Amino acid sequence: MHDNSFLARTLHRRSFFRVAGAGAAASALVLAGCAKEDTITPVPTNQQLVIGKADSVNFTVLNYAYLLEQLEAAFYDKVVTTPPADLLPGELAYLTDLRDHEFIHREYLKFALGSNAYDASFVTQFVFDFSSLTLTTRQGVWTAAQKLEDIGVAAYNGVAKHITTTGYLNMLAKLASVEARHAALAHEVLQAGSWAAPIGATGLDAAKTPIEVVALIQPFVPIEISTAYLPTT
Amino acid sequence: MNLFQIISEIEKVDPEIMDRLTHRRSALSALGDITRKMALAAAPIAIGSAFNKAVGQQTLTNANDILNYALLLEYLEEDFYAQALAAPTLAANLTTGSAARGAIQTIKNHETAHVNLLKAALGTAANPRPASFNFGTAFSTYPTFLTFAQAFEDTGVRAYKGQATNIPRTLNPTVGGNVVNLLTVALQIHSVEARHASHIRYMRRATAAGGTQQFGWITNADGNGAPAAVYGAGNPAATFPAESNVSQGGLTLTSVGGNTYTVAEVSEAFDEGLDNTTVVNIARSVVTF
Repeated sequence: MHDNSFLARTLHRRSFFRVAGAGAAASALVLAGCAKEDTITPVPTNQQLVIGKADSVNFTVLNYAYLLEQLEAAFYDKVVTTPPADLLPGELAYLTDLRDHEFIHREYLKFALGSNAYDASFVTQFVFDFSSLTLTTRQGVWTAAQKLEDIGVAAYNGVAKHITTTGYLNMLAKLASVEARHAALAHEVLQAGSWAAPIGATGLDAAKTPIEVVALIQPFVPIEISTAYLPTT
Repeated sequence: MNLFQIISEIEKVDPEIMDRLTHRRSALSALGDITRKMALAAAPIAIGSAFNKAVGQQTLTNANDILNYALLLEYLEEDFYAQALAAPTLAANLTTGSAARGAIQTIKNHETAHVNLLKAALGTAANPRPASFNFGTAFSTYPTFLTFAQAFEDTGVRAYKGQATNIPRTLNPTVGGNVVNLLTVALQIHSVEARHASHIRYMRRATAAGGTQQFGWITNADGNGAPAAVYGAGNPAATFPAESNVSQGGLTLTSVGGNTYTVAEVSEAFDEGLDNTTVVNIARSVVTF
């Protein structure tokens, strides 16, 4: 019921007609949806990355989490492969642990999604674009790590309420607190005493909507991310 | 029934609550064209079915009980840090202006904010603060204090996580003048407790004489001095495995995606929840209240 009403809302979005799936399956679904409503053939003027599915908010949220974990994994992979020369003793060990955790998160979600993964039918996976970050200094690396970990925490906190099965909600919570543990470290190593910097007087962490999070991660994704299926609150 | 009171209280400050409930609960939508009055009568049943997802040793069946359980843990943590900041035995380590005192004061402030938030959400249903918390020898030395702190924070993370699936995701009460989603708020506290745990672990690592060789995340079920039960399995263990768990959703993650990972790495990558009975037992094993 919830999923159907979500689909109905999605169908009313003008932007829906602009959506062209990067994956063939997603494209077919989109085209089929358009044909029902309108005979105009949509022209994919700009390719978009379609996250999730029209008929399943759970798979949409899981795909959204999968993209975030892919992003974090790619970031730490790049940093550990070519670490900045000025890392302090012990920092590479931290970054290696962070990389491995994100690898495991990514692989778990990929397994859980199976053929429902947004990139399951991709012939070639896109490469994340970290050109906006400074990854040649420890200052730049840890600043970027803070940003990505804080985004991860806020994303999971914000999206959890949309999950309709206890199993997936439980899974998201298991990941969220590990991201928060990472975030505290990423702040503290760069500036002693700053581990709690993102927490205000309310004592609460941030919670962001998928739309807010997509805007924050778009600079790292070389294809425009479609928000068509993502929850709007 | 408490639920009727919750709905009634919420509706006083949020007149649209019934509209949202009726739109979101399929049980209500299935009734078709029903009057608002009928919807009002049926809503607690619909919400009740969401509460009934509690399994095993979870004994909490309504939102107020869950919030009061969280409030008890926050009372405990707040008092723990308040006593630490005032303890003569810790004065040499928690000196005015030091990073350590700053961190403990920050955590204490967060716990106070959590107490106030939960009390505001509960209103007159809020349980009173226990008369006293006796933490025994927790403040005898600085390393002992940090070990207790780690135990409380890691337990706090597990406690909130264990309730995530019990909190109705469609409950949007007005707290302190703001409409909030109860599940979202619980998770916003949950991740703050995780940041606390990470930093306390960092502080233990940095203490004199080598410190405790651990990172901000939980490796296997290693407590490094904290009670083993903090990292052990809850009840039922299938729902609340020990922190050493390496299997998620039926997949053993030590070998996945063409790579192999150590048991330690996989256990670190996931935090596990705990049922409320196990959590309260852990608390009562080290604290008298």
